Amino acid sequence: MKRRHFFKVSALGTGSLVVSTFIPLACMPEERETTYWDPNFFIRIDSDNLVTFICSKAELGQGTSTGLAMIMADELGADFDKIKVEFADGSKEKYGRLHLQDTGGSNGIRMVWKPLREAIAITRELLIEAAAKQLGRSASSLYTSMGYVHSAEDEQKIAFGDLITVASTLPAPLEVKLKDPEQFQYIGKPIPGRLTKNASKGTVPYSINVKLPNMAYAVIERCPVWEGSLVSYDDTAARQVPGVIDVFEIEPIEEQEDDYKGGVRAGVAVVATNTWAAIKGKEALEIIWDLGPNARYSTSDVHDGLTAYRDDNRAVAVNLKNAESLLNRSNQKLAVRYDSPRQAHACMEPLNAVAYHYGYKVEVWAGTQSPSMTRERIAELTGLQETEIVVNNHPTGGGFGRKFTCDYIEEAVIVSEKIRRPVKLMWTREDTIKTSKYHPYSSDFWEALLDDKGYPIAIGYQGFTGGPSAFRPFPYGLPMAYRSRLRYIKGWLVPRASWRSVMAHPWALGLESFMDELAHEAQIDPLEFRLNLLKKAEVVKQKRDPWVGADLYPAKLVGTLEEVAERSGWFTNADEDVFKGCSSIGYNTSYCSMVVHLKRGTNGLYLSKIFATIDCGTVINPSKVKSQVEGSIVWGLSALLTPSITVKNGQVEQSNFNDYPLLRISETPDIEVEIIQSDDVPTGSGEPGVPGVAPAILNALFMATGKRVRKIPIDLKTF
Amino acid sequence: MELNINGERYSFELKDETTPLLWVLRDFLDLTGTKYSCGIGQCGACTVHVDGKSTRSCLTPASSLAGKEITTIEGASSNAVLSLLQDNWVEVDVPQCGYCQSGQLMSAAALLSQNASPTTQEILSAMQGNVCRCGTYVRIKKAIEKTVEDLNS
Repeated sequence: MKRRHFFKVSALGTGSLVVSTFIPLACMPEERETTYWDPNFFIRIDSDNLVTFICSKAELGQGTSTGLAMIMADELGADFDKIKVEFADGSKEKYGRLHLQDTGGSNGIRMVWKPLREAIAITRELLIEAAAKQLGRSASSLYTSMGYVHSAEDEQKIAFGDLITVASTLPAPLEVKLKDPEQFQYIGKPIPGRLTKNASKGTVPYSINVKLPNMAYAVIERCPVWEGSLVSYDDTAARQVPGVIDVFEIEPIEEQEDDYKGGVRAGVAVVATNTWAAIKGKEALEIIWDLGPNARYSTSDVHDGLTAYRDDNRAVAVNLKNAESLLNRSNQKLAVRYDSPRQAHACMEPLNAVAYHYGYKVEVWAGTQSPSMTRERIAELTGLQETEIVVNNHPTGGGFGRKFTCDYIEEAVIVSEKIRRPVKLMWTREDTIKTSKYHPYSSDFWEALLDDKGYPIAIGYQGFTGGPSAFRPFPYGLPMAYRSRLRYIKGWLVPRASWRSVMAHPWALGLESFMDELAHEAQIDPLEFRLNLLKKAEVVKQKRDPWVGADLYPAKLVGTLEEVAERSGWFTNADEDVFKGCSSIGYNTSYCSMVVHLKRGTNGLYLSKIFATIDCGTVINPSKVKSQVEGSIVWGLSALLTPSITVKNGQVEQSNFNDYPLLRISETPDIEVEIIQSDDVPTGSGEPGVPGVAPAILNALFMATGKRVRKIPIDLKTF
Repeated sequence: MELNINGERYSFELKDETTPLLWVLRDFLDLTGTKYSCGIGQCGACTVHVDGKSTRSCLTPASSLAGKEITTIEGASSNAVLSLLQDNWVEVDVPQCGYCQSGQLMSAAALLSQNASPTTQEILSAMQGNVCRCGTYVRIKKAIEKTVEDLNS
């Protein structure tokens, strides 16, 4: 194509859109037999009719790339089965602000839904306009379907690929109409999608599969204690391992103020011609570490430190509906503490990245949740311009928040800079359990002032959460005081990383256990108790931030609770062998309620079934939504029922799946998920199902045993 | 040395006799469907078949496998049970991130090749060695049960 008009779409604020046309300086297509048109950063249409969706969000298994491709196919009128999916490269020049690219908080579909549809609707109108010119028809008599512009009046149709030359010369319309939901062909259908097909053949292109010419393989032995340093090492034996090429020190990099960046431990890298040689070389290293001050502390010190901090810092930071003065009254009170342990992410694809530092530019191949931030970080680290950094983002074998951090990619860049050739930096499973970044230990203190009948008048809370938040909202409408945020003043002891549902997990353990405790104090059925409060509660206003969705609607929690209550027989199942527990969670404007059934078998208590109901607005793909809630429940079960991460003298005590086991198939109960039908903006489904699992089960455990357990993990067989 | 994988002969140079089959497949032969995840036989992501038996390739030295028939996830075209399982994996929409699924499928294929009508308990115990962090267990069970129905109809 000699001359093409492009239009640029950039999101401002929460989804408002500016569309402008411009001609880029370098708009010559790359050398290939076909020509192409890339009218905006979401799509490329080739002259041979290939439609490529450029997915701005990362694919970690949460199905976002399938969901967004379905949205694109519907808005464009493309054939979903023929769409190719590529991933965005972290470039701010093309994609603008961070939130359109980096993936976290179960926000992928919600954030991209509107700008994607608007950009693709414009593309569709340009294709129709081009067809109108070619056919000599009015645009209003044409429509798109399955990759063609069709005439509504006769059988004539033109393939998209045959329209790009004309379409690329047309000015973009300033306003377009989005399709009506009844025109959707894909949205709302349970479509497996390409990732599912590829995963069933073992052909998903994870970064761990990348192989480049002259590529070396590296692993790092890291200091077992966070912020410890290297004293000396002996690599004689390591260098004798067949295939080992080089051994050298990795200097630590401080965790940055934005703790997703930096935090590379002191270490010794072993570079080899294959992964096995690198691992054997690493095992043969003899290293002397200075373990540093963190080696003096263990998990129990964090627990005690949080207690001490609380004793000295009880001031109310956020006082809603005058809760503080109510809590100071001398009525009957209930005050309890909940404790949640450290957790590792244990992504099935261990952390890894391929990097090639050319000296004047850097290219990386990795599965990252933050391609945009990673690119920015590599520029900081290397002193190169961001435009000299290319991040090839791959679908990845689980992320769960751990792959939002950049450290493992920073390490790959450092090693490649040293050896000046492409390198695949692998973490062994032991590395990901022993020397990683973790979901932190937390303690949460809940208190309530009760009236003469045991009914709550005001709630007090002190823990990690400093105030109302879309990830940790208090939806029950009672006066609520947040005391000053609880800290362990010596730092994290080990570094922190977001972990599926992040701090909503300890928050919900406290909130949903405590609501249950209050219901029993008031001698009201716990589910009915929640419904009574939620039906009277007002909408919780949320701070307007791209990462946060709309306000919190207690009525939506009511909807999910009532559905799950009915389906699980909460009020009707009188089977005395079934012990029931419930929870109800708002997470970033999705809503998820749960009922669990505990039974007593010959080996003690066991979970017989978990029912969950989610309201996540418009459902793009019900199979993926249900899949996410099923997976979230399994995640929550692992957190509750399998051993956690513990630290002794600064070192993590677990090392692999033998001593950090995850839930297995025989331990997984029946799970039945339903979705509330809604026309609202689609919101997330990857995390809302996690936080309610532990409290629902602990609430059922109370029904079974009369014991209130406030510390996890637990072993059901011991009750 | 030479290995027989999915009915084909692969020749390669093996400098270290301790090298597990897993790394030979992945780093030397570019058969990357088989996955590394724990390296100690605890998670099943590296499962392949050796003479039809479910085997952890991360613990099995390649040098011990001369003359054996090795099947990996790439060998589905000549393994009807595996191929049927794959179809049902898609039908039930099992995978999420997909990383463990090669191993899940190989374990399921080994089970159903030896026992086309397993009980629920037999399915669970055959799949007990395969970890899925995304939590696709409910659907794995469903897809295997569907395959059992298909095999017996």
